[in-house]
Amino acid sequence: MTAVTAEDRTARTDPRTPGLPRLLPRTPEDLRAHLARHGRLPYRGHPGLLIGDVKAAGLTGRGGAAFPTYRKLAVVAQARGRPVAIANGAESEPASHKDALLLRTAPHLVLDGLQLAAEAVGAAEARLYLHRGASHEVLRALAERAAAGTDRLEVTVAEAPPRFLAGQETALVSRIDGGPALPRFGLPRVSERGVGGAPTLVQNVETLAHIALIARYGPRWFRAAGTAAEPGTMLATVYRPDGQCTVFEAAIGTPLRDMLPDLAGTQALLAGGFHGTWLAAPRAAQLTLDNETLRRHGASLGAGVLAALPPDRCGLGEAARVARYLAAESAGQCGPCFNGLPRIAAAMAELAGPKPRSRTRQDAERWAALVTGRGACHHPDGTVQFVRSALTVFAPELDAHQRGRCSASNRRPFLPLPDGMPATEEDWV
Amino acid sequence: MTGTTAFWYASRATGIVALLLLTAVLVLGLLITRRGKLPGLPRFAVTGLHRNLSLLAVAFVAVHVLTAVLDTYVHIPLLSAVVPFASGYERLWLGLGAISLDLMLAMIITSLVRGHLNRVLWRAIHLLAYVSWPVALAHSIGSSKDLQHGPMLDMAIGCMVIVSLAVIWRLASAARQVPRAGRVADVMARHDTATRYTATRYGRTREEARR
Repeated sequence: MTAVTAEDRTARTDPRTPGLPRLLPRTPEDLRAHLARHGRLPYRGHPGLLIGDVKAAGLTGRGGAAFPTYRKLAVVAQARGRPVAIANGAESEPASHKDALLLRTAPHLVLDGLQLAAEAVGAAEARLYLHRGASHEVLRALAERAAAGTDRLEVTVAEAPPRFLAGQETALVSRIDGGPALPRFGLPRVSERGVGGAPTLVQNVETLAHIALIARYGPRWFRAAGTAAEPGTMLATVYRPDGQCTVFEAAIGTPLRDMLPDLAGTQALLAGGFHGTWLAAPRAAQLTLDNETLRRHGASLGAGVLAALPPDRCGLGEAARVARYLAAESAGQCGPCFNGLPRIAAAMAELAGPKPRSRTRQDAERWAALVTGRGACHHPDGTVQFVRSALTVFAPELDAHQRGRCSASNRRPFLPLPDGMPATEEDWV
Repeated sequence: MTGTTAFWYASRATGIVALLLLTAVLVLGLLITRRGKLPGLPRFAVTGLHRNLSLLAVAFVAVHVLTAVLDTYVHIPLLSAVVPFASGYERLWLGLGAISLDLMLAMIITSLVRGHLNRVLWRAIHLLAYVSWPVALAHSIGSSKDLQHGPMLDMAIGCMVIVSLAVIWRLASAARQVPRAGRVADVMARHDTATRYTATRYGRTREEARR
């Protein structure tokens, strides 16, 4: 197992972009330090007033879907009923550590954002959704704020089970309503009918932290970093080929080489995490950290995981391990997902081994096409995206396996994966 | 066969093919549970086959209806294809055909826009299949004299038997369903066994694998 310790997850910023870091302080900040740096909470005094600023800033969701934040705010604000505002800190991708680091070092920025977003949509309740055993810093921050009286809405904490899909919006709503963290079909949307039937705003904690900054410093300041299409900075969890894991705060549009200087010498880059895309290293080294560029190559940023696979590992082996994990994390609700993904994972396991049958690759491709778009949530589609790009990028390795050879000299797993798989209903609560 | 009877024959032929296709679609629909499986087809491919066959069946039904309307031997107004009991000829049996077609259209249209629909609503409408198919069968037998005896009647009875068996299978499989949380583990264990078997053929010996 690759050692990815808490010490490795240090925050780095690109020194060439002025004004960075915006989100991540060098050391965890308590309420006093936070207020000294950023000043008091700029409540707008009335629902809806902040939404224009968020729109002008061009902020997009940092949980993975990159949906324009103002549109979510506007829909929830206009929906019938008193909304619920939820900060989603259940970072469920095993390879991503940016939300955990943000909640540890700048919890007050996230909680400011939650209060401001709640005010913007006229929310009657605010929740914070976290994994069990989440950093005590954020819980201490909540206590500090309660004592200081900074919050207009009391924030209650809800616990997420350690499941890959636990942070999915509809799964989150189900969990907060007291049920298991299972996704449901997309309609009616959570923004119209979510927790307890009320319109529900679910925002990733990093998105909320950006809202807190936009409310204070304005859209123009926000747009000083990033590209015209995707303004601002973002947090990215970066795995260097030596296995070291670092969380960066970088301006969107930063060349990937700046975060991974030895990228060209690696084998391939996994962009966007386990629902993401493998890119051949020479091509990836030319790319920049933004969806506009990545989408031209069939990839996207997702929740900002970038992993550069060193040349001495077997990409197919890595892909097979992840495919198996993703299959095991299927919620078991939609037939194409929980019948199809284990089958695809078994095919990947065969392809990662010696002398796979020649038809197994075609089978995997065919099954991948059959499960796409057939789930209540994005899980089968995301998994297929990962598997297909692996089959494309590691095609030469696949040819070698068919001849009975594997180019890897290092058998240790590279990408981090949790042990065990869910077996009972309790594992989803 | 003359020009005047061509439409009539075409209508009869497409009607019978449509009935067989609709029977296949209904049976596949019944098989789409978490355990449904056809030999040589992955479980999740049944869905795709169900969908493609249903679109094909609709095409046959469309030709069946149009040729019946175009046939000049008896007058059937186009409107009666969708408005029940609007035809003077065989009012009851053609009326059933129209009902069945309307229900089919509702199912097809809601399925085509399923991504934009409430899941519960889609499912409720899809359950109309259990009304649409028997009504279509009654329409077939009632409106066609030669479906009432001989090999054609055997075929109609065969369709009923197959559908009944599929319904029984569906009810039985609902009774022995694996609890949700255990399903993935169940499927993975099955595939792991398959993978191990593969490993015995490529690389390891059977004795090693057995250990």
